[in-house]
Amino acid sequence: MKMYKIAVALSGLACLLVPVANGNENREITVWSWFITSTMQKSIKAFQEKNPGLKVTYTYYNYSPEYITALKAAAASNSLPDIIGLQPGSLTQQYREQLVPLSPYASKEWGNDWTSKVFPIALKQLTMGNPTNDSNFYILPQECQVLAIWYNKEIFQKLGLTVPQTYQDLVSVAKKLSDNGYIPMYQGAADGWQNENVFLMIANQLSPGLTDQAQAGKVPWNSPALVSAMQCWMNLFKDHVFQEGALGARAYPTGAQLFAQGRVGMMALGSWWMQESKFPPPLSRYIQNMSGFDFFYLPALTQGGKSSPPVGGVDIGYGLTKNGARNPEAWKFLASLVRGDALQQALNDLNDLPSFSGFEPAGEITPNIKQMYDRFIADLPRAENQRFAIPAIADALDNALAGVASGTVSPEEALKRIQDVTDKALK
Amino acid sequence: MFLVFIVYPILWVISGSLRGNGSLHPTAFVGLDHYRQVFQDPVFWRVLLNMFLWGLITIPVQMVIGGTIAYLIERHTTRSKTFFRVMFFLPVITNVSVISIVWSQMYAPYYGIIQHYVKFVGLQLTTSPLGDPSLVIYALILVNIWQWTGFSMIMYVAGLNNIPSELWDAAKIDGAYGWRLAMGVIVPLLSPVTRSLLLLGVIGTLQTFPIVHLMTDGGPDHASEIFGTYIFKQGFVIGDLGYASALSTLVLLIALVLTIIQIVAFGAQLNPNQKRLA
Repeated sequence: MKMYKIAVALSGLACLLVPVANGNENREITVWSWFITSTMQKSIKAFQEKNPGLKVTYTYYNYSPEYITALKAAAASNSLPDIIGLQPGSLTQQYREQLVPLSPYASKEWGNDWTSKVFPIALKQLTMGNPTNDSNFYILPQECQVLAIWYNKEIFQKLGLTVPQTYQDLVSVAKKLSDNGYIPMYQGAADGWQNENVFLMIANQLSPGLTDQAQAGKVPWNSPALVSAMQCWMNLFKDHVFQEGALGARAYPTGAQLFAQGRVGMMALGSWWMQESKFPPPLSRYIQNMSGFDFFYLPALTQGGKSSPPVGGVDIGYGLTKNGARNPEAWKFLASLVRGDALQQALNDLNDLPSFSGFEPAGEITPNIKQMYDRFIADLPRAENQRFAIPAIADALDNALAGVASGTVSPEEALKRIQDVTDKALK
Repeated sequence: MFLVFIVYPILWVISGSLRGNGSLHPTAFVGLDHYRQVFQDPVFWRVLLNMFLWGLITIPVQMVIGGTIAYLIERHTTRSKTFFRVMFFLPVITNVSVISIVWSQMYAPYYGIIQHYVKFVGLQLTTSPLGDPSLVIYALILVNIWQWTGFSMIMYVAGLNNIPSELWDAAKIDGAYGWRLAMGVIVPLLSPVTRSLLLLGVIGTLQTFPIVHLMTDGGPDHASEIFGTYIFKQGFVIGDLGYASALSTLVLLIALVLTIIQIVAFGAQLNPNQKRLA
């Protein structure tokens, strides 16, 4: 009888356990982003191996228009996935009401001093655009980037060129490249983001942090240093540092392909360019182990000035939606993405730089790539901000830069237009 | 169905245009403020000019080229008619992303496809029309014409095949050839197709978006901005749903007015049954 009771009890326990096991197997975490699918799949695989029974479903979108329209529609219909990829500043602010503050989660996971491990520029950008007195973090950064001028070392060596130290050097390097049939510095000036990046390099070499003050309304956009920056920007077109027809050119895919093929001397990109070496073959000989490339910061564009400081910040971050907050497993994946096994996979693919200190890529990383990676990581803590808190200001800057480059508007007039938009946005 | 999928979204957009700037949901009632801002916005007038140019150039050019190709295929080609029809129709069904990449490469100086060929005669392109504010809209219109002429062609092919063979014979007996045949017989008989293409062309013009978004995103400095790209930027990038809704409502009104004009002008003639009865 006793044996019978034990058997019944064990059977009952088994019946209780079976549904629980099935329940775990079906626990799904949904993620949307524009992050490269092949790398994300490696991150998901690493996470799922450590967390059996959990399934991450990733949906990739092209950033524009697919991703931002999908987010908008899902937010309006309260059907956002658990985790969404975001950039700090304007994009995060648009969805702030759909996101949960992440500080309590992070403190519980990593301790109260977790912010000390985040690179300062990333930490600063996380709260950009928050309402006054709102110091919550609505996204956590996965990867950071540093902007730079990449150049083709082999072409430079072949033509006897050295890294330019002054603006005159830059112009003469560009001329020699053009004279020898190469595109001097490829600028995809049809892309607002690439124009912004170069302008921020220029503005921050003339007065570090001035664009941040201007977008916050603390200094006018037509202050002398920014007028000077806009004139320098114009000169890059007039002096043929950028290729002819740059305003009609796109950085991706055209520019990147030409650069990878060795038809371009220089291009303003960022630390993410190293990832090209991890793409599936065939790769050009320049791209293999990045042996054909190196980078420098934009030299002083004014007489007696300084070269550009590193400019950069968060490349991509992730937010936990209010839907995701109801899924107890969603935070686990977000934590892994920003500071765990999933992040490590992204770093191994050289996707970009970590936002938390203490990580570095593992696996097949050649000494050449490692030294470039280390230089970027060393520069990241002193990087100036590249993000905008208000999208209307970024849009006005994009149009102003295109107008100045095309010669249809003067630098002063273009900056006045940005000031008008800033005044309206901050009202 | 009509109420849910047509009337409700329209009312929602109109209501949004009367409310404040929210990135996801309209906020407080602001009356006609957004409309006042739209009419004071120089970009809006640039958009209107670009849309006018777009319609004015693309619709007749596509009709003339499409009609000519259709005529040559149907009346002067004895073999491979299907081959030519398919070839000229291919751009219509080609992915717009592919078209935008190919044409951007064609326009590019130094490394572009056109440059590759003109260098053999010693020419060097030094600028891209996509980067020139005074040329960019025409460069995009050319791409649009290239893509959609095949659609006009296929419509005219159908129209030409509906013309009874007796009419062709009668025209020949009457000595109608060349220009006289075209203007006296073909054009009048194809007028229902032409009117349909006009109606579809106006609608298509107002709906234009992907080719401009992918090739220039309305730039440089709004020089190629059209309703689609401007509304998208205001609503989805800048996050000003109220302003985007006001722009959308104006587009709706323009579409409504143009459609009414066309129906009033051509309505009876668009209905083939009515024509036969007459």
